[in-house]
Amino acid sequence: MFKDLDPILHSQLRLAVMSLLISVKEAEFTFLRETTNATAGNLSVQIQKLKEAGYIDVIKQFKDNYPQTICKITTAGIKAFEEYVKNLQSYLTNTK
Amino acid sequence: MEQEKKLTEQESLHLITMMINKAKESYHDTGIGAIMWGAVIAICSLIRLSEVYFEYRLPFDIYLLTLVALIPQIFISIKEKKERKVKSYDDAYMDYIWLGFGICIFLLIHISNNIFGEWGSWANEYRNVTGKSASFRFSEYIAPLFLMLYGLPTFITGAACKFKPMLWGGIFCWICCIISIYTSIKIDLLLTATSAIVAWLVPGIIMEKEYRLYKKEQAQLNV
Repeated sequence: MFKDLDPILHSQLRLAVMSLLISVKEAEFTFLRETTNATAGNLSVQIQKLKEAGYIDVIKQFKDNYPQTICKITTAGIKAFEEYVKNLQSYLTNTK
Repeated sequence: MEQEKKLTEQESLHLITMMINKAKESYHDTGIGAIMWGAVIAICSLIRLSEVYFEYRLPFDIYLLTLVALIPQIFISIKEKKERKVKSYDDAYMDYIWLGFGICIFLLIHISNNIFGEWGSWANEYRNVTGKSASFRFSEYIAPLFLMLYGLPTFITGAACKFKPMLWGGIFCWICCIISIYTSIKIDLLLTATSAIVAWLVPGIIMEKEYRLYKKEQAQLNV
């Protein structure tokens, strides 16, 4: 029996964001937007969903008088991502 | 990128790999710090070499320039940190390694000054008693110690950041370290200057070029 893939992660933009955040300590919102080529509004919605799931932390602060949003993956996020990749690999191995 | 597009398992794996690679490529050092330190150490060593070779003395110790260079280094570090949109796990380790290196260098200067003071008075006494100068010259053994230290953070940075010019630069410092054990102070200073150029100045210039190219690409993507 295959385990269901996490629906929060099994979506293009959210998976892209999580893949970026798993590789770094923290990243600015602008970096995520530029790297994923997503629109700001779209990305904000997906980040909010990841935050609500407890997969990422979002820190809002000011840098040189401009608002700055920093995103960081949480321990729960790392665990969920690892589980997702594991399930993905077992799918691919068993369907070969 | 569409937010709710459902992916196949293959597409998911491909996306994960692509994003992880993009994150790895996102970090580019400006190289300015490496250029500055490479130039400062090379200049200091070459000026000290000219002092030894032409037998003159500047009214101040030329190596004090390294203390002056700390001021722009602080500004460079603050500016680079502010401009960084991503913080990698390696950043913190690298900062600590180079800070530890700086501390070790200043400790080594302090230790060698103390030994030199003790040794100097002993050598003078020996000359007064025997009429001959001591064959052991402490100053000729300082350069290998510095070169050994120069190699360590350079090698680690090169290996951790997968930046070969710095990795080879670190190895070059250690080769020069071995050679300088058997050479005179003049050659030692020349080896120190060459090491600074090979380990920091040249990799710094390469890094700076890559950084400029990355910035240009980013600007084109954002048009």
